[in-house]
Amino acid sequence: MMAIRELKVCLLGDTGVGKSSIVCRFVQDHFDHNISPTIGASFMTKTVPCGNELHKFLIWDTAGQERFHSLAPMYYRGSAAAVIVYDITKQDSFHTLKKWVKELKEHGPENIVMAIAGNKCDLSDIREVPLKDAKEYAESIGAVVVETSAKNAINIEELFQGISRQIPPLDPHENGNNGAIKLGKQATQASRRCC
Amino acid sequence: MCSPEEEALLRLEEVFSATLARINRLVLEPLLTAEPADPQGRECLRLLQQLHQSSQRLWEVTEESLHSLQRRLAHQDSVGLASLLLLCGADRVLQVHVEYIEAYTSCVVVQAFQKAAKKRSEYWRGQRKALRQLLSGVSSVASVGSALVQALRQPLAHHVQQYVLLLLSLGDTVGERHPTRELVVHAATLFGNLESFMRQALDQATATQALWHTVSSRLRDVLCTPARRLLQDSQDVPVTVAPLRAERVLLFDDALVLLQGHSVHTFDLKLVWVDPGQDRCTFDLLTPEEGFSFCSKDPQSRMVWQWKVTQAVCQALRGKKDFPVLGAGLEPPEPPTCRCAAYTFRAEGRLCQATYEGEWCHGRPHGKGTLKWPDGRNHVGNFCQGLEHGFGIHLVPQASEDKFDCYKCHWREGSMCGYGICEYGTNEVYKGYFQAGLRHGFGVLERPSQAPQPCKYTGHWERGQKSGYGIEEDGDRGERYIGMWQADQRHGPGVMVTQAGVCYQGTFQADKMVGPGILLSEDDSLYEGTFTRDLTLMGKGKVTFPNGFTLEGSFGSGPGRGLHTQGVLDTAALPPDPSGTRKRQLGVGAFPVESRWQGVYGPFRDFVNTGCPGDLQEALLGFHVQNSRDLRKCQEYLCCERTQPKDRADRMEDILEELLQYREPGALQQCLRKALSNSLHPLGQLLRTLMLTFQATYAGIGANKHLQALAQEEVKQHAQELWAAYRGLLHVALQRKGQAPEEDEDAETRALQVHGLVLPLVLPSFYSELFTLYLLLHEREDSLYSQGIANLSLFPDTKLLEFLDVQKHLWPLKDLTLTTNQRLSLVRDKCFLSATECLQKIITTMDPQEKLEVLERTYGEIEATVSRVLGQEHKLPMDDLLPLLIYVVSRARIQHLGAEIHLIRDMMDPIHTGGLYDFLLTALESCYEHIQREDMRLHRLPGRWDSRGLW
Repeated sequence: MMAIRELKVCLLGDTGVGKSSIVCRFVQDHFDHNISPTIGASFMTKTVPCGNELHKFLIWDTAGQERFHSLAPMYYRGSAAAVIVYDITKQDSFHTLKKWVKELKEHGPENIVMAIAGNKCDLSDIREVPLKDAKEYAESIGAVVVETSAKNAINIEELFQGISRQIPPLDPHENGNNGAIKLGKQATQASRRCC
Repeated sequence: MCSPEEEALLRLEEVFSATLARINRLVLEPLLTAEPADPQGRECLRLLQQLHQSSQRLWEVTEESLHSLQRRLAHQDSVGLASLLLLCGADRVLQVHVEYIEAYTSCVVVQAFQKAAKKRSEYWRGQRKALRQLLSGVSSVASVGSALVQALRQPLAHHVQQYVLLLLSLGDTVGERHPTRELVVHAATLFGNLESFMRQALDQATATQALWHTVSSRLRDVLCTPARRLLQDSQDVPVTVAPLRAERVLLFDDALVLLQGHSVHTFDLKLVWVDPGQDRCTFDLLTPEEGFSFCSKDPQSRMVWQWKVTQAVCQALRGKKDFPVLGAGLEPPEPPTCRCAAYTFRAEGRLCQATYEGEWCHGRPHGKGTLKWPDGRNHVGNFCQGLEHGFGIHLVPQASEDKFDCYKCHWREGSMCGYGICEYGTNEVYKGYFQAGLRHGFGVLERPSQAPQPCKYTGHWERGQKSGYGIEEDGDRGERYIGMWQADQRHGPGVMVTQAGVCYQGTFQADKMVGPGILLSEDDSLYEGTFTRDLTLMGKGKVTFPNGFTLEGSFGSGPGRGLHTQGVLDTAALPPDPSGTRKRQLGVGAFPVESRWQGVYGPFRDFVNTGCPGDLQEALLGFHVQNSRDLRKCQEYLCCERTQPKDRADRMEDILEELLQYREPGALQQCLRKALSNSLHPLGQLLRTLMLTFQATYAGIGANKHLQALAQEEVKQHAQELWAAYRGLLHVALQRKGQAPEEDEDAETRALQVHGLVLPLVLPSFYSELFTLYLLLHEREDSLYSQGIANLSLFPDTKLLEFLDVQKHLWPLKDLTLTTNQRLSLVRDKCFLSATECLQKIITTMDPQEKLEVLERTYGEIEATVSRVLGQEHKLPMDDLLPLLIYVVSRARIQHLGAEIHLIRDMMDPIHTGGLYDFLLTALESCYEHIQREDMRLHRLPGRWDSRGLW
């Protein structure tokens, strides 16, 4: 059995940019024989192979409304990665993204992997945020960046693959300074509670 | 069809009855008229009275026998041979004879007849003729005394002899197969034996009487009693005694007497053990305090003495005369090594003058017994090889009347070892472990609250002194010290909590705090620096006020009263980090949780390592006490009706057997639940002791928010230790069955079992104290939250949904059925009712896992409601879910939600970190945080809800 490594991933971004659509697409597109319980579209899991490990993404959605911004630290604490989503048709959402990046840099977990997703790339004709801007910005902060379309299932896999690649391989001597990392027998854990 | 023998018997009884009546009239009654003048005379009279009574009974039984014979002769056909008293009641007839003989021989030993006759010699001279008539075949009698002796014996001897002859010939006439033949033979044998008995009794009595005649009067005064009989005298069969060098050895039927010069050594035969010697001419005797060898010239003499002593010991232990003669093939042939007797120790030493009454084995107290010292001390309990061993109750009287120290303890080789309860005359009570007679290991010493200086120490001891981790509560000062001890003094890191809520942490040396410490006052200001025990700030230090201001400088009490300081007040600082001040946790790291209660876990480990011996359960795990109300009852139980160790051993078998039967997850949970709730079960006992320590630390004064971290790690540690305890028991159970032990589990499996299985089972035992700490710690947040809830509760449902920005298409308006006078906009507490009611169940359980499941179901209810409203299954993203959840939380109005959330998070199985339950709990926590926010409480009160600005 390959080692399963649990990775908590936090979704950030303005409301309406399609955070949960991306995750829904990512989780539902592939048949997953470990049917893990979910909380609607708010908490989902998906396991993907990466090298000689299995990465189990525990994906935590957050509320995008600005009034709930102050609650975000509770959600991203202990995250191995953050997916920050903006809408390429809305410049405002890209501004919000920058605010998130800044906050994560200041208050987020150390070494958190950041991935920027410019969603709704199927609507590139009404684009407000040029890809170049996003790429330059991502490069400046060392983040993964892709333009995605949850609707047309573009680049969704790639987004998470990008995260997997950025996760430093597990060092047996130095366990878990990169968010919630565990080696475990997931099957027993999931079915343990039954009475 | 009557045989001539029966007729002869009838005549015999007629004659004997008449003879007895005559003896009574002529001899016994006149003897009894003597007026006793001195103690000796009184003693003689008493013996004669006894003889008179025996004679009376003898006459009665003879009459009875006579009647049975007469009846038989009158109605030969209807009354069978078996109806004769001599046959059917032979044993009773015999008994009466034996009693008469004993009474008679006692009189002989002290020469009662001669003495009484001397008193009224005139009278007896006149009676000579009558006496002579009584004594057939004796031509002349030397004196009145010996005439009396003869008169009271001869008719009986003759009568018994006739019995035997007639019964034997009766036996011959009765056919071989006659049903009563056996009875006849039995009776004949019995009376034959009676003749032997009588002969031996007379011989012994004569020898004894002769002995008293020859020894000095001093010795006679010491040794002579009417009932005592001489069995063997070293003047007849020589024997020497080493190392005592006695000149003469007298073996009586109740004691062995060694005469050495003027001293007389008497040894109770019940406490004499006979052992074979090194060679054929010696044998050894063992008594409680001395052992010696009997040496004789030849093996025969040795044989005589050894046999006599052995039989005498046997007879003494049986408590009645061997019948018909000494050592007459009775069971057991050898005296048992274990006996019951009382003895007062004479030799100098611990036991000098002490009396032991109870079971003995080979010269030493062994088994159950009572040891009493003349100064009033006494010990009731088990002994082994002469020393207190096993459970025992030891009382030590105190100077003042009816005050005493009472030790109910387990003992080992004469000193207290293992668990015990000691109630001192001073009203102090110690409950805990001992070693070598001193408090050692875990123990609780309590001075009751009525006492002048109420005080309670719960913790570790070393050789009678407080040492290691311990908690002491000083009732007068209203302080509780939690920390390290050495030689009865506070020493090392320690935390002090006070009644007023002030608490501090520091390092102690010789009962005093040294160096700087941390002082937290009840108004949440923090002082770091040096201070005195009376909490006066002294020397350098820094105060951090709740608003963030700091004052750094040196402090002291000046010439007047009050505090003097010279320092810098910094008013620019931001409000301090709550975890550094308001929520500061004391003691964490100072007392590593693994070693905190070793004294409680330790004995359990010893118990398991020794293979769970049932008889050591109490010594190692403490007495079984159900609760404090039962304590009085329990003391009675300790005094008399304690469970027998054997029962305990049986029960231990059952307990271990049960563990083996229920090893599958579901059954295991049930089995552990049962074990932990059973105060007789080792695991239940361990849990109860742990509860005791927990309450001693965190209840009462200890209910201080700064101790929450200490408490919560302790609960988790207890769960771990209880799991290890279970594994230990299981290991023993498998070993006893000869099965292979279970593989060592890895850290992860252990963590899984501890959190998933054991923690939920033990948490209820610690819950009330633990939850109180959480409550105090989150008091401020909880009150903000309560205000928020109160304000939100004023909103009607639709207003609240709108206020929380719940998208309109998710509003469950379908759920609202309105009566005519209701308006939609005013309905309250109707939307998402199922989810609200579900969430309220979170307080109905103590199990963190179950609480999380309630949360999951609450989410399910929300989703179900939304799906119904939308008419299709709907997966809620967080943008939609969070406002709905805030709605449900605000409507559920759960009190102390902050305390709940943090308790769940701390006690949650770490396996869930990052997972579904973590997410749900975080979502709940974010709702809780959000409801606390100032804007929710102040700026958006009902009535202003529509005036909100840009959101």
